[in-house]
Amino acid sequence: MERDIRLGMRNLSVGYGGKTVVGGIDAGVAAGEILVLVGPNGSGKSTVLKTLCRRLRPVSGTVELSGEDAFRLSARQAASRMAVLLTHQPHPELVTCFEVAALGRYPHTGFMGRLTPLDRAAVEESLRQAGVWALRGADFGRISDGQRQRVLLARALCQQPEVLLLDEPTTYLDLGGKIALLEILQRLAKEKGVAVVLSLHEIDLAKGIGDQVLCLKDGRVQAMGAPEEVLSARGMEKLFDLPAGVYAPGAGIRFGTDGKEAAG
Amino acid sequence: MKKGLRIRAAYLLLAAAFLLFLGLSLCVGSMPVGPREVTAVLLGRGEGAAAQVVLRLRLPRALAAALLGGALSVSGYLLQTFFATPIAGPYVLGISSGAKLAVSIVMVFAVQRLGALPFPLMMAAAFAGAMAVTLLILLFAGRARGMATLLVIGIMVGNVCAAVTDFFVTFADEAGVANLHAWSQGSFAGVSRENLLRAAPLILAALAAVFLLCKPISAFRLGEAYAQSMGVNVRAFRVLLIALSSLLSAGVTALTGPISFVGVAVPQLSRLLLGTSRPEHMIPGTLLLGAAFCMGCDLAARTAFAPTELAVSTVTAFFGAPVVIALMLRRSAGREEA
Repeated sequence: MERDIRLGMRNLSVGYGGKTVVGGIDAGVAAGEILVLVGPNGSGKSTVLKTLCRRLRPVSGTVELSGEDAFRLSARQAASRMAVLLTHQPHPELVTCFEVAALGRYPHTGFMGRLTPLDRAAVEESLRQAGVWALRGADFGRISDGQRQRVLLARALCQQPEVLLLDEPTTYLDLGGKIALLEILQRLAKEKGVAVVLSLHEIDLAKGIGDQVLCLKDGRVQAMGAPEEVLSARGMEKLFDLPAGVYAPGAGIRFGTDGKEAAG
Repeated sequence: MKKGLRIRAAYLLLAAAFLLFLGLSLCVGSMPVGPREVTAVLLGRGEGAAAQVVLRLRLPRALAAALLGGALSVSGYLLQTFFATPIAGPYVLGISSGAKLAVSIVMVFAVQRLGALPFPLMMAAAFAGAMAVTLLILLFAGRARGMATLLVIGIMVGNVCAAVTDFFVTFADEAGVANLHAWSQGSFAGVSRENLLRAAPLILAALAAVFLLCKPISAFRLGEAYAQSMGVNVRAFRVLLIALSSLLSAGVTALTGPISFVGVAVPQLSRLLLGTSRPEHMIPGTLLLGAAFCMGCDLAARTAFAPTELAVSTVTAFFGAPVVIALMLRRSAGREEA
C-alpha cells in the first residue's frame, strides 16, 4: 500500500552554525502515524524537532511537508499544515485560556484575526478534547504547568494541522496526565489522520504509543523501526549505556483500552 | 461577560481622565479661565485675553502633550512586545538619549551653518539616533534577553550618549547651546504649532500602522517560537515593530526632547486597568492613558511651582519611576514562587 507521507526527512543533517548534531536521518511519517524520538539527554531530539518545525535550517538534506520543501513555504502556509507543542512554556500576562487556545486559529483567520463562529466552534471543540473546557475563562498565568500544557495542546489542535510536532510533551504532566495526553494524540492520528512526531523520555509510553520509533545517539540514528523491535531490553541497554539486565520492563502501559481489559 | 464589562469600565475611566486633564489644562494657569468660559471659547464664542490664552497657548500645548504622550506610550508598548519584557521603554533603553545625541549634533552644526535647524532635518536626526541605539542594543543583547541585562545595557548606552552630547555642548557656540539646553530638558512648552502639525500626520499614520499589527502582536505574546509556528513571519514582524517604535519615539523626541518613564510605565498601568493583554485593547488603552498621563504631568510641571516651570521629565519620573520599581519587585517575587 502506498503510504501517504505527510512529513518527510531526506538525508537530513541537523545542527547549529553548520556543525552537525545529528546526521543522516531518513524517515517519513504518514497520515495517521505516530513517530516517537527517543535517546539520551543531548542526543539531539530537540534539535531534530527544531529543524522539523522550521526554526533551524538543516545543515544538509531536506524536510518535506506533503512532498514540498518545508523551508520554501511561507510562514502561514507552513502553519496551516503543521502545529507544534514546545517544551518551554510561555508566560504571557493577563490572557485567558480560551484566548491562548484561539491563537491556534491564526493561519485560518483574516487580517485582523477576528474569530468567525466556525473558528469559535473549532476552539471550543479542541478545549473539550484537551480536557480543559472548564478552564476556558481562567487566566493562563494562574493555572498549573500541566493545565497550561493542555491549553497549549488545545491551541495546536484547533490549528487543524496535518502534522503535529511535540517536544517532550509529557514533561509537566503526572502519570494520568501523560496517558491522557498520549491518548488524545492517538485518537487524533487514528480518527483525523494527523501525522504525529514527538520526543519522549518514558520508554514505556513510547512503546505503547509509537507506530515507529527513532533512536538517536552519538550524532546518528542508532535504530529505527517498530517499537517492539527497537525498544527491546537489549536495545535500551545499548541506547542508554545500561549494564545488562538493569532494564526489565513489565507489562508497560496499554493505550486505548478504555479500561475494558483492565487488571485481567 | 464580566471581562467585557471590566474593559468597558476601563475605557470609560480612561476617557474621563482624558477629559478631566484636558479641561484642567485649559482652565488652570496664571490666568484662570472658568469652565463655562473655556466652553464658550472652544465653541468660538469667546473673546479677549481668555480666548487668546486658551486657543493660542493652552489648547495647542495640551493637544501636544496628549498626542505625543500617547505616541511615546505606544512606542514603549511595542518595545515591550519586541523584547518580551515589561521593563522596556524608549527612555530606559537609551533610545531617547540616542535621538537626543543625534539631534544635538545636528543642531550644533545646523545653527552654525544655517542659523536655525529645519524641522525635517531634526526629525530625521532623531529617527537615525533612535534606530542606531536600538540596533546597538540588539547587537549587545543578542540572544540573552534577560531583563536585567537589557536594562543595564540601556542605561550604559544612555550614559554614553549623554556624555557625547555634553562633549558637543561644551564645544558649541553660545546660540547653539541655548537652543539645545531648552530642548534637551524635555518639555511640551517648546512645541510650536507648525512643528506639531507637521509631525502629527506622521505620528498618526504610525499609530494606525501599529493597530494593523494587532494580530501578530497577539500571537507574539506566546513568544517568538510559538508565533512563528502559528504563521507569523517573525523577521518581517520584528523589523516592523522596531521601525514603528523608533518612528514614534523619534517623532516625539524631536519635538519635546527626551521624556522619561512614560513609555515604560504607561503600558503597564493600562494593562492592569484593562485586565487583559489583548492588543486590540492595549493599543487604544495605552494611547488614551499616555495622553491623559502626559497632560496631567505637564499641568503639574507648569502649575506646581508657578511661576517657575518644571521640566516635564521631572514630573513623569516622579510618577513613572515607582511603577518600574514596583514592577521589578513583583517580577522577582514571582520568580521565587515559580
